[in-house]
Amino acid sequence: MAVKFFGQFLIEKGAVTRTALLQAIDLQEKTNLKFGEMVIEMGLMTTVDAARIHLAQRSEDLHFGDMAVKLSIITEEQVQQVLTRQRNSHLYIGEALVKVGALSEQELEKYLEEFKQDQQAYISEKIEIPAGVPHQPIWEMVADLTYKMLTRVAGISFRPGPCTIIKKLPCRPIIAEMGFSGSISARYLLSVSESTRNLVAKAILDEDSVENESVEVLDDSVKEFINIVCGNIAAKAAQLGHSIDIAPPEMRADSNTGIDVPQDHTGLMFPIYLSDGEVFELTIFVPQN
Amino acid sequence: MKSVLIVDDSLAVARQLEKIVSSCEDFKVVAQGRNGAEAIKLCQQHKPEIVCMDMNMPVMDGLTALRNLMQLTPELKVVMVTSLGGVGDKYTEALRLGAKDVISKPFEKDTVLKMLRRL
Repeated sequence: MAVKFFGQFLIEKGAVTRTALLQAIDLQEKTNLKFGEMVIEMGLMTTVDAARIHLAQRSEDLHFGDMAVKLSIITEEQVQQVLTRQRNSHLYIGEALVKVGALSEQELEKYLEEFKQDQQAYISEKIEIPAGVPHQPIWEMVADLTYKMLTRVAGISFRPGPCTIIKKLPCRPIIAEMGFSGSISARYLLSVSESTRNLVAKAILDEDSVENESVEVLDDSVKEFINIVCGNIAAKAAQLGHSIDIAPPEMRADSNTGIDVPQDHTGLMFPIYLSDGEVFELTIFVPQN
Repeated sequence: MKSVLIVDDSLAVARQLEKIVSSCEDFKVVAQGRNGAEAIKLCQQHKPEIVCMDMNMPVMDGLTALRNLMQLTPELKVVMVTSLGGVGDKYTEALRLGAKDVISKPFEKDTVLKMLRRL
């Protein structure tokens, strides 16, 4: 019921053991060289050059290869050669499991097919993000996973509206927020009414009624819902080659006054319409480059 | 009957887990904590056999607490219950630090009980 990576799927299926998975990951780590390691192995630079690049990266935010080109240590063409070699020699976790004897080729093929079907529900559909916003595929995925989790986890039927750029987030009784850091940073906010919060709480607490629950527990359910969504976003981002760390969820104390989009950020708002006419919002504050 | 400590900053999740664990006569919830630091303190007080713990928590995160718990009580059986289960690096780190299993959120009752019974 969540975004998974293949090794986790196999353990849950009982197809491989925890020890075998760790053996396969160790093999992967030894085989799949990082750019800096690969470029040295290919004899295109020395460890002294690599140390110079690492030092330069402390004062300028550039990838290793880009910095190597900037310092004239290697050429653009050599960067492409290294990337091609990395791609061609990459050992996937399934192949590593076969190499350590945890799976046969036939089993791998069968489980890959099952995994594809299991994760089909999390493949993004097209969502339009306004032009000029960086990392568009990530925000499409964020909105798409939020919609999917609203259906699957919270059991809410809705119609998503088009994404717009906003300067101020409208006031709502409840706004829960989480921060993203790592290779992508942003703030993720879900604004809901009390009745939508109660729908979410019913689903998270697995109760038919939440009439007697405290406000703390009800609000906490919304925080937990966005925690689940953002954890799955981090998993999906990892599949797309990005590393996202998430901070624990928080409630915004200023939800009743509306929230200004911070300076140097773009506010992406995705309205979500319920069948009874109510609307709530997913908003992402994206830093401008 | 095996004793279980539940650690999650979310009241909603802690309650849901307690309901699931208590529904099986093989397990008994002995305490609940809200962060990694509380997990360490409660483990020393209650000496549970099993800990079900979140990863993404304030004060002290679950992986830091797991590292400490494994040093203090290597025989402790820890299951991470987390929304970050699908992040390969986090999953692998939890197993390397000694977690017996990782359950992804959202979880289902049967998945939780099946994993606890396997311990």
